[in-house]
Amino acid sequence: MRDITLILLAAGCWIVAALLPLVPPRKEGRISTVLGATGSLLAIFAAAHALLGGTPTHVDFYFWQGPVRLELDALSAAFLLPLHLVAGLGIVYGLEYWPVHLAKGSGRSLRFFFGCLVAAMSLLFVTRNGLLFLVAWECMAISAFFLVSTEHLYPEVHRAGWVYLVCTHTGTLVLTASVILLAQRLGGFPWVPLPGGPVGTLDVWILGLSLLGFSFKAGLLPLHFWLPAAHAGAPSHVSAILSGVMLKTGIYGILRVSTLLPGPPGWMGGGLLLLGALSAVYGVWNALAQRDYKRLLAYSSVEHLGIVAMGVGLGWVGRASGDPLLTALGFGGAIFHIWNHAIFKTLLFFGSGALLHATGTRNMEALGGLAARMPRTALLMFPAVLAVTALPPFNGFLSEWFLYRGLFASLRGGDSWSAGVALLALVFTGGLAAVAFARFYGVIFLGEARSAAVDHAHDPSLLMLVPMGILAVLALALGLLALPLLAVLDRIVAVLAPGSATPLASLVGRDLRLLLPLEVGLLALGGALLAWLPRRATQVETLPTWDCGYAAPTARMQYTGSSLADGWSVLLPGITQRVRSIRALFPRAHSFHSVVRDAVGDDLVTPWFGRLTARLLRYHRLQQGILSIYILYVLVALMVAFLWLLLRSKLPG
Amino acid sequence: MSHTLASTLMNLLLHTLAVLVLPPLIPGLIAKVKAWLAGRSGPPVLQLYYDLAKLARKQAVFSRTTSWVFLAGPVGTVAALLVASLLVPFGHTPAPVSFEGDVILFAYLLGLARFLTVLSALDTGSAFEGMGAAREVSFSALAEPALFFGFAALAKATGSLSLAPMLQAHGMGKVGHLSGPLILILAGWAIVYLAENARMPVDDPNTHLELTMIHEVMVLDHSGRPFALVLYGASLKLVVLGALLVDPLLPRLAQGWLNWLAFLAALGLLAVVVGVVESSTARFRMTKVPQFLLAGVLASAFAFLLLLV
Repeated sequence: MRDITLILLAAGCWIVAALLPLVPPRKEGRISTVLGATGSLLAIFAAAHALLGGTPTHVDFYFWQGPVRLELDALSAAFLLPLHLVAGLGIVYGLEYWPVHLAKGSGRSLRFFFGCLVAAMSLLFVTRNGLLFLVAWECMAISAFFLVSTEHLYPEVHRAGWVYLVCTHTGTLVLTASVILLAQRLGGFPWVPLPGGPVGTLDVWILGLSLLGFSFKAGLLPLHFWLPAAHAGAPSHVSAILSGVMLKTGIYGILRVSTLLPGPPGWMGGGLLLLGALSAVYGVWNALAQRDYKRLLAYSSVEHLGIVAMGVGLGWVGRASGDPLLTALGFGGAIFHIWNHAIFKTLLFFGSGALLHATGTRNMEALGGLAARMPRTALLMFPAVLAVTALPPFNGFLSEWFLYRGLFASLRGGDSWSAGVALLALVFTGGLAAVAFARFYGVIFLGEARSAAVDHAHDPSLLMLVPMGILAVLALALGLLALPLLAVLDRIVAVLAPGSATPLASLVGRDLRLLLPLEVGLLALGGALLAWLPRRATQVETLPTWDCGYAAPTARMQYTGSSLADGWSVLLPGITQRVRSIRALFPRAHSFHSVVRDAVGDDLVTPWFGRLTARLLRYHRLQQGILSIYILYVLVALMVAFLWLLLRSKLPG
Repeated sequence: MSHTLASTLMNLLLHTLAVLVLPPLIPGLIAKVKAWLAGRSGPPVLQLYYDLAKLARKQAVFSRTTSWVFLAGPVGTVAALLVASLLVPFGHTPAPVSFEGDVILFAYLLGLARFLTVLSALDTGSAFEGMGAAREVSFSALAEPALFFGFAALAKATGSLSLAPMLQAHGMGKVGHLSGPLILILAGWAIVYLAENARMPVDDPNTHLELTMIHEVMVLDHSGRPFALVLYGASLKLVVLGALLVDPLLPRLAQGWLNWLAFLAALGLLAVVVGVVESSTARFRMTKVPQFLLAGVLASAFAFLLLLV
């Protein structure tokens, strides 16, 4: 069967899976889970086939009297693959995490909108028509809004949902303008790539507008402020698909629009490179200060989307300057990082869902010592933490290695300045990510329990553990067996920059053939050393922790998450800490108070909107709430328009 | 052909041997120098070998709080550093494994070692070890840019992204023998060297006050074989990072064995210099350490800027 048909079939499966929980029998939701998972398997199969050398397949039909083409090429497949991996695992995970019969029907609405989201994104990635793209985009945005507001009874979730809705619609507004301009340029809504040529002013406007609109979705600085609250408040498998896949629809959009036009100018690539660098540093810096571990993960998504944007920017620089090496490394690194981020971030969110189930709190300062109580979860989260910090031998390291190669190549050849700044940013990001995730893993899983929330914690059942296990294996496998992926990445880069990139296989193939065995050697060496160490059960004496002679250490004496990150978090613009100085010889009880706010969202945007609202309230008088008055407004507006039309012909000039 | 193959194998053998056997000598040398300067006779130079042999036979004591992550620190550190040591050329002998981009793997392996050590420190739930972990992660975020700016400068100058050509290409292009950028890079890296190896004036390896330590305090709870790995890993780091510092300064000699000799002599000299620095400076206050590291970042950043314009 043709690949695109399979994708459509998968989308159909997901829609049926979405509708099933709404019809009367309302069983446990097993059938809809099986349907969704089957759909995802079909789509993964089709996408993998397209990536492994299948020719692009398409279907044509008419939609609102306009021709529409749905096409599956390598770029679409590159985004469909993580979407359906995360969605398929997510729906299985959701079976236990958020059962259908839960809390006043929220289980059913969650399943409905989850299915809609996946189907809409599948359509989004294959459509080649501006109008249908906007429709799919809107379906995705609305489904995501309902998913984010699943627990809308909590005020902060309610607020996060609305902030998200406003942001996504502001983005859509900008995108609509850009799609209309694009239709002007292409001569219609169908997206057919223009032949190459000089970059015109209109092209720059289109690219600029889509960059603005899409970076709302991708969470690039400074348009990221809706993201942390929305992703933290959503149910965990939804957070996984939002962070792991939906943010990347923004990157997909930027990439797709840029393939339609003659290549973006070099300064735009340099600008995106710097913007990505800024987002990465800002995201990880905020991540290390968060106490809510899901917020931490959300900020880390800002970081990683910044890194992806750096890759795209590098690719654009390479394409503009005609540097085939840079083009391949930039785009290849960006796509590879998109996959890797989808894998480890989903694993992290699944794991945090297990934590939330077991302890009922998102505050990491209340946790600790969970490695003993949830050994399987702790074991599965370990690779995720190493991968998200980009440490070898896991997958996150390899995609950053591609980017480093690209940045160093750019230093030698093309634009040294932006590459130098971006290089510093990437290194610094790595250092801060180590702070953030050593803190994440250390405070949650290691040490002693910090509160009673941990008392009854236990591992989740296999329904939640198996999806996590699959992701953990993938994180390691992609890190060790990346060599065959080079040819696949080449096919995607060929869509992004036709004929102007060196094949990655010839570029880094030799280096990877040496690098990957070293990583295997690292694991083998670790195993051998571990075998040399004494077994805990038989050859080891266990005693309390050596606290410099103090024999009765308590959990309260441990380092807290906040103090662990204190070296860097105090420098954050959004943080306020209040501690009264202790003067007396025998001081009484004292308090320490620390609040982390987003420097852009909470300190700039919210006050600005507050002022705007106050100003707009003056016009509240117009809003009477009576239908006949509104009809009068319409009538008056029409009269004025007619008058203007009449008078315009009479006016001189 | 057979000659080159034989010499390659010989080099590989010597490299492995040097990595496995040599490292514990360096802390011994440093301690001896410090003792001489203080007018003591000090422990024997081979003291660390005795310690390692003793620890390998001793029973280990684990804290009740710890989990399997506790062992990931020592094991991961030694494994990561051993793999990293394969990428570094010792003097002007070729590195066993060399490819474009191995610099990044090298830096991230060091990062892996550090990350696992920090996790195993946090695993004990001790206030002191948490303190060490917090300092380690905070300071290393500054040490890494210093290291990378040096790499970027050398990459720009030599047109390569592999440790061996980068470190051995002295006299090439703008990074001449003792030229401005090279001096700045080495100054920056010297600061990284002292910080990463927990040496004065950043950290005091011999203090008896856990409150003031960084690295040593993170391994307080290790004992027996895991502690042997920790000690060996620390000495290995002295050699591996030391090679970064001495390689660019060594002249290329005709004979292979002369190159080896020059490298060993330079490493010994480095140990003496570290001993002298340790004897003549006091440890900084903790608040001064970031400034010291920032000086390292600035030094290598200036080297990079000099090569950029």
